[in-house]
Formats: sequence, structure tokens, C-alpha cells
Amino acid sequence: MLALLMVILPLLFAAAAPILRKRPLALYSLLPATGVSLCLVLVAGLLYPEQDLFCLYLGGTPILAVDAVNRFFLQLIAGLFLVISIYTFFWLPAAQEHNPPRTPGTRTMHRYLFVLFMLVFVSMMNLSILSAHFGLLWVAIEASTLASAPLILFHCSEASLEAMWKYLLLCSIGIGLALFGILLLAFAGKISACPPASLGFADLSAPGVIFHPVWFKIGFVFCLVGFGTKMGLAPFHSWMPDAYSEAPAPVLALLSGALLNCCLLAVMRTLNLAPEAVLPFCRTLLTILGMLSVLVAAFLIIRQKDFKRMLAYSSIEHMGLCALLLCYCQAALSTHVIAHAICKMMLFLLAGNILLAYDTHRINSVTGMFRTLPRTACLWLFGLFAICGTPPSPLFVTEYLLVTTLPPLLAILLLVLLFIVFAGMSYACLSMTMGTPAPDCHERQTAQAAAEQLTIVPGAAALGLLILGYITVLWMKQLL
Amino acid sequence: MNELLNLILGALLVLNLLLVSASRLRHCIKLVAIQGVLLGLLPLACAHPADGHTWQFLLVMFLSLIIKGGLLPYLLLYTTRRINVRRELEPVVGYSLSLLIILALTGGAFWLGSVVPTAVAHGASPLVLPAALSTISTGLFLMVTRRKAITQVMGFLIFENGVSIFGTGMMIHNGLLVELGLLLDIFALVFIMGIAVFNINRSFRHIDTHSLNALGD
Repeated sequence: MLALLMVILPLLFAAAAPILRKRPLALYSLLPATGVSLCLVLVAGLLYPEQDLFCLYLGGTPILAVDAVNRFFLQLIAGLFLVISIYTFFWLPAAQEHNPPRTPGTRTMHRYLFVLFMLVFVSMMNLSILSAHFGLLWVAIEASTLASAPLILFHCSEASLEAMWKYLLLCSIGIGLALFGILLLAFAGKISACPPASLGFADLSAPGVIFHPVWFKIGFVFCLVGFGTKMGLAPFHSWMPDAYSEAPAPVLALLSGALLNCCLLAVMRTLNLAPEAVLPFCRTLLTILGMLSVLVAAFLIIRQKDFKRMLAYSSIEHMGLCALLLCYCQAALSTHVIAHAICKMMLFLLAGNILLAYDTHRINSVTGMFRTLPRTACLWLFGLFAICGTPPSPLFVTEYLLVTTLPPLLAILLLVLLFIVFAGMSYACLSMTMGTPAPDCHERQTAQAAAEQLTIVPGAAALGLLILGYITVLWMKQLL
Repeated sequence: MNELLNLILGALLVLNLLLVSASRLRHCIKLVAIQGVLLGLLPLACAHPADGHTWQFLLVMFLSLIIKGGLLPYLLLYTTRRINVRRELEPVVGYSLSLLIILALTGGAFWLGSVVPTAVAHGASPLVLPAALSTISTGLFLMVTRRKAITQVMGFLIFENGVSIFGTGMMIHNGLLVELGLLLDIFALVFIMGIAVFNINRSFRHIDTHSLNALGD
């Protein structure tokens, strides 16, 4: 029953948003309230681990369930949303005051719509994680696309309209292909000697169930392309930098920290079903896409002029790494996912601060952050080193484990690409933090002060990352 | 029963050819509506298990008929009327060439249907896979080669219809909840896309997606 609460609660709070449209403070506090209540529900589940509190049955078959695979994704997203919602509570008024629309005639989205779509988005992500049925998983992921698309349109400018259109269209095609893939998988089960009872994950992975290998292969390709599009794997990633350069900071933190992981979970679910005979094929495919993602990201980060796009390519790189970890080193996958989510969330929130203070996302136009925004600058540099896997970042441990398990040739290639990413990102970040501030930036002093006050949440995330790093280093010591 | 099924699938195959050669937007939308109706009738022609879920089955069929055959085409039509584009689709590839390409793709779909180990023995018609693949590729083709944003929405709808042809034709039952979720998603998607087309028209004064290229590396 608690699972239903995880989905329904945000929707209830979302329904309250139109009622509170005239009272901004109450409206903004809906977000942290949802975050806190989601975390409370999870804590209630943790208090009674022996009882199956999270399962929801409909006519004898489980609809929502928590199992070994999705438990930690659920906790991760609830935690991330709590942190992001607290940031948003302080960020929204500041952004409306200091970041007016650039072109006259356009306006920012109404704040109640923003809160509403944000809450629906979280609800649908929770549904996609909890769903115990392949079809429901698809419905939830498509719904999360629909709920997040209007959020990109925060500033109703031409560029954000273009970004939203691309996001909506490409992700919908991708997800449509995934639906075809799911139907093919169902068919692969149906025509085999021992068909599964339904498309529920419990039925599909029950012992004795066989899939027709040829149809499973075709289905897996479609599923991988579909969910890979939403996850941002390389040849299908083109929506991602565009959407990321236009969406506001809290939405980006959610997209990158939570939504990508939902799709990663969908890919994991599909891979877990693969019969022995097909497994090498699936792994090869995932490895190719993963390497390609890191490659594309590396060569586009190095010549990037926009810091939000740079972070988008970094997300593509890390999703590629996750795909590789899924194939070669599943033990380190969860650590990588948590560390990447926290680190990327922190970086996107800081990018929001920088945007607030400078009102631009061009790397060239931002200089001298150590003088104007000292706290943001320190955290920005910390985030840079953490995301590139410099110790004590937990990503160092996971990337180390990955490189040691990869075949030698791939490992060397991966190391070179990771170095290129590091070089590109550190060049951009250092040029933003060092130097003297531009002469006209004194005009934005109030905005800079407002941005500096928003560093508490990213600072807490940095602290969390350090603690996580310490824990992972201890874990690595055990492994050695 | 099987005669009817093959008749519907054959009609769907012909519709794809008509869709790519249609030059007027209103005409195209009407064809999509016919496709939706045929798709809605498809479950009636398939043999389905005689368990206690007949009412669920009929409910889904009825809703899908209303949404895909009526509501969504009407939404598209409403959008075109509001933004005042009625005429040409301004194809990147000419009509006769696109007809040839779709013919070739349909041929390819038939070839694929004969190569992969099919399930004729399981009661499914051998026409299902070719019809589904051909419709999916028609949808994708229209999305790639037509310039207007509204045609891309239409392409998506055709593409999704193709996926459903496969699902219904192969008699894969997802259960009531999932089917309703699917329909709701498609409806919401077309609705949001319609609003987006409307906004694009207002900001750019046209809905030519080839000029949506300000972003990029």
C-alpha cells in the first residue's frame, strides 16, 4: 500500500497547486512538503522491513512492488527530490526577480504550473520505478516525458520552444520503439515452449520461463534503442544537450539525477530477462553504445562554449559508463549511480546559481567567479573534480573497478577518453573561476548576493559526496 | 473470422501508400482517422480467449476506437484550423519517390515476415508483421521527410498505430490498466504536441521545423 502512497501523494499535492496559485509562499512550500512526506513514507517502510508494505495487488497480480533491483533507486529519487525541492523553494522567487525573459514579449511560465508539473513528474518517476509490470513501466516513462516537457518551457522563448519540441518528439519516438520492443519480448515469451503468465516482472523471470531467442534479440534491440534514447546513450542523445541548455536548474537536477536512472532501471530490467544464449549479444550491444557515448561526450566537451551543455555531455558520458558497468562490473553500478546523481545534482544547482548571477550560459562571459561568487566558485571546482573521478570522489573507485575489469584495449581507450573529458571540463571550469570579473558585472550585485545565499544546498550535497567517498574507499580496501 | 482479419490488414497496408502520396493536410488527417477506426476494429477480427475478461476487452476496444478514430484526428484538425495551414505538406522527398520508398519498405517488411520464425501456428495471421512494420516505417518516414510540425505529430500517431497493430494482431494482452494508461498517454502526448505546435506558430509565424535549428553544436 505504501507504494501507492509514493505515487498518489505528489499527485495530491499537485492538485493543491492551482488552488494556491495566488499565495506564492504556500505554493512553493508544496515542493518541500512533498519531498518530506515521500521520505517519511520510505522511512516507514524501512522501520518494518519484515512486512511487505510496498506491494500493491490488483486481481491477484502485483502492480507495484519493491524488489532487490528497484529499492535503492526509489530511495535515491526520494532523497534527491527532497534536496532539490528545498533548493527550488528559495530559487524560484530569486529566479523570477533576477532572470527576466531576454526577448520582450515572452514571459516566464506561471509559477503554479511549474510546481504542478514538477510534482506530477516526480509521481510518474516513482511509478516507473515501482511498477511490477512491463506495460505499466512503459506508461510511466512516457508520462514522465510528458510531465517534464512543459518544464523545459520555463522561459517561453524561441530557443526553449525548440528544445521542448525536440525533447518531446525524439523521446516519444524512442519510447514508442521501446513499446514495440516490449511487445516483441512478450511475443518471444508467448511462442516459446514455456510461456510466462503475464508481462509482470515476477512472471517473466520465474524459473522455467523460456523466450524465443531470435525474437528476444529483436525485442532487446528495440528496447535498448527506446530506453537508450531517454537515457541519453550516444547515437540517440541529440535531444539532451538542447533540452539541458534551456531547462531551469532544479528541473535539470531532477532530469539528470533521477529520470536518467529510471531509464537505466528499465534497461537493467530488460537485460535481467535475457536468456543465457542471448546474453553475450546483449552485452556486446550495450558495450558498443556505452563506449560510443563516452567517445561522443569526450569530443564534444572539449570544444564546448556553454556550461550547461557541457554538463549535459558529462551526463551522456556517465550514462555510457553506467552501461559499461552494467555489462562488466555490476557490483559497482549502484555506487556509481548514487555518486553521479548527487554530484550532477550539485553541479546543475550551482549552474543555476551562476546563471542567476551572470544571466548567461556562455563560458566566455563568466569570469572571476572567485571574486564575485566565492562560495559558488569553490563548490563548482569541487564538483568538477568529483565528477571527473578525482579521489576522494566515489566515482574514482567505481571507474577504477571498471577499468580493471574491462578488456585491456577497451580499458586503455576508456582511460584516454576520460582524460579528454577531464581536460575539457577543467579548462572550462578554471576559466570561469579564475581571472578578473567583467567590468559590467557590478550591476548585478543583488543577483550575485542572492545566488551566494543559495549555496547551502549544494554545499550539503558536497559534504554528502565526501562522506560517500570515504565509505567507498573503505569498501575498496575490503575488495583489495 | 480470418478472412475479416486479413481484409483489415490489407486495407491498412493500402492506407500507408495513400498516406504518403496524399498532398493535402486535411485529407491526410482523414486517412489517419480511417486507420484509427480500422485499428479499433482489429480486435474483433482476432480470436481471443473466452475467459471472464470479455467486458474489459470490449471496453478497451471501444475507447481505442473513440480516441484513435475520432478524438485525436479531431484534435489535429482543430489545430490546423486554428493555425491556418491547409494546403501542401512541403515534402523534402517528392510524392512519387516517397510512394516508391514506402512500396520498397513494405516489400522489405514482407520479406522480413517470411524470414523470421513466425507464429502462424499460434493463430496469428502472416500479414500482421508486414502490416505492422510497414505502418511503423510509414510513420517514421513521414516524420523525417515532411517539414511541418503538425505532420510530425501525425507521423507519430501513424507510428504508434503500427505498434498497436503488432500488439493486437499478435494477441498480446496487457491487462485493462496498462491499455488504459497507453491510450491516456497517447492522448496527452498529442494534446501537448498540439499546444506546442500552436506556440511554435505564434513565436515563429510558421510551423516549418527545418528552421528550428538555433541550438546545436
